[in-house]
Amino acid sequence: MLTLGGACVYAASTAGRFAPIAIVTGALAVGLLALGLVLRWPSMIPWTIILAGAGYLTAREGKDLVDGWAVVEGVALLLAAELASWSIEHDARIRTEPALAVRRALTLTALCLGALLVNVMLLGTAGVAASAGVLVAAVGVAAAVTAVAVVLRLVRA
Amino acid sequence: MTRYATAKLASYAGISAVGLLTALVTARPELVAVTAPFLLALGAGLALATPPRLSVEVTLDAPRALEGDEVGARVTLSSTTPVDRLDIYVRLPDGVTLADGRNPVALHLAAGQERELELTLLAQRWGGHVIGPTYLRARDPLGLLTWETTAETRPELRTYPREDVLQRVLQAADTQVFAGNEVARTKGEGIEFADIRPWGAGDALKRVNWRASARRGDLWVNESHPERNTDVILFVDSFAEARLGAEGTLDLAARATSALADAYVRRRDRVGLIAFGGILRWLVPGTGLVQLYRIVDSLLDTQIVLSYYWKEIDVIPRRTLPPNALVLALSPLLDPRSVGALIDLRARGHDLAVIDVSPVPFTKRPASGLDSIAYDIWTLRRDALRHRLRSTGVAVVEWDNQLPLQAVLEEVRAFRRYARHARG
Repeated sequence: MLTLGGACVYAASTAGRFAPIAIVTGALAVGLLALGLVLRWPSMIPWTIILAGAGYLTAREGKDLVDGWAVVEGVALLLAAELASWSIEHDARIRTEPALAVRRALTLTALCLGALLVNVMLLGTAGVAASAGVLVAAVGVAAAVTAVAVVLRLVRA
Repeated sequence: MTRYATAKLASYAGISAVGLLTALVTARPELVAVTAPFLLALGAGLALATPPRLSVEVTLDAPRALEGDEVGARVTLSSTTPVDRLDIYVRLPDGVTLADGRNPVALHLAAGQERELELTLLAQRWGGHVIGPTYLRARDPLGLLTWETTAETRPELRTYPREDVLQRVLQAADTQVFAGNEVARTKGEGIEFADIRPWGAGDALKRVNWRASARRGDLWVNESHPERNTDVILFVDSFAEARLGAEGTLDLAARATSALADAYVRRRDRVGLIAFGGILRWLVPGTGLVQLYRIVDSLLDTQIVLSYYWKEIDVIPRRTLPPNALVLALSPLLDPRSVGALIDLRARGHDLAVIDVSPVPFTKRPASGLDSIAYDIWTLRRDALRHRLRSTGVAVVEWDNQLPLQAVLEEVRAFRRYARHARG
């Protein structure tokens, strides 16, 4: 909740005149996450992330410059989602070996570091000046669709 | 193993799709950066997910135990593929609890690694308890997919009832023809002096009573009672029981039956068993330790099975109820079918004694109102039923769980002595 709250606070602080909207969406996201954690509903997690993302999108409205902190914002949202999943999955009746918790923490750290690296590369690529056009947009759509298709293929495998 | 996608997988796929499409529509590269970690988690998680190839075996240190004993159980796990997180849960049946060990437990298994989990089980209640099934749930490193299966090995723990040691048991009215510890009423070759009679051709010299012969001026010989065995049929009513928490009338009856079988077998009597209930079980009378184990094993499988089928004693095989056998019934007298069968047995001339395993201690009297009146009527009707059985010559004694079995047997013995005297 703290991680998600931090991400939402950052979005609200950079929102300018859209700050009230960013604050409301951020508060809603944190509230939903709290509800999901209390009621142990994992289906709440994606909605909180989408709400927090929407708040961040609102905050970026009207700004032409690419935000470098988006690298951290994305990783923070992933971290919030992972920690929330961990909290909801945790069952006190199952006695977990301590090594297992350490292992999961290490996996999560590695994932966040990997995501940070990928994000830095992505935003670095976005910073390269290139002419926009229909062709570039088409390539972007194709890339997005391919990414989702790859994920679906992996799920079925 | 059955594979399932977790809610997390659908969530991350949804977030990725929404994020990427929104980034395209709004032309904001920051949104790609916000979405990319989720896409990376999905890709990495699914690429790292390997279907586990697990083998599980559950074994018990001892397949038999007495009530209250602790038994070690071992869950041996091995996998040819790495399993990041494996949840294991060994389901324990009623009557068996975990005394020590971790269940359920989550652990990690490396490829080719073998692990052994040790559990200490407490056999709380008699019966044949099947340990398991053992449920296994494996997860990939990022928790996107799970695989679930159950172990095929389900060992059985046979828990024998703890029994009282009986100093004295009920004697049958008549003995059988085989040698045993019971002094027969008839006269023959034996140790116990019975009477004297005039000498006859074929009588052994050692049996001549010289003192009586000298006094009467003729040869007189001693007669004795032979030592014979008896046939005892233990009749367990398993039509219905009263239960409060972990204890019930069937538990008391099973423990008492086990103790009685042990005592009679030690006397070299032939002991048989009839479990009269939803499922009819019987054992023809036999002697020896093997018969004792047969009886106790058969008792373990005795349970209350709901049945509306009206059974009479005709369904019991004839060999199971030999003539002159003492039928010792343990019944809570709750089901009219078992009561009818007992009265029928008595009417056919069997030597019958009934230990009424009282259901009253296993019930609570309602505080007030119609329920309390109904409860009182029920207890009065039980008294009337016992009186009805007594009036047919059956020794009936109520046994609540406070009294030792020996005391109850002595009460039955006293009734039988009085009844015999009254008949004579």
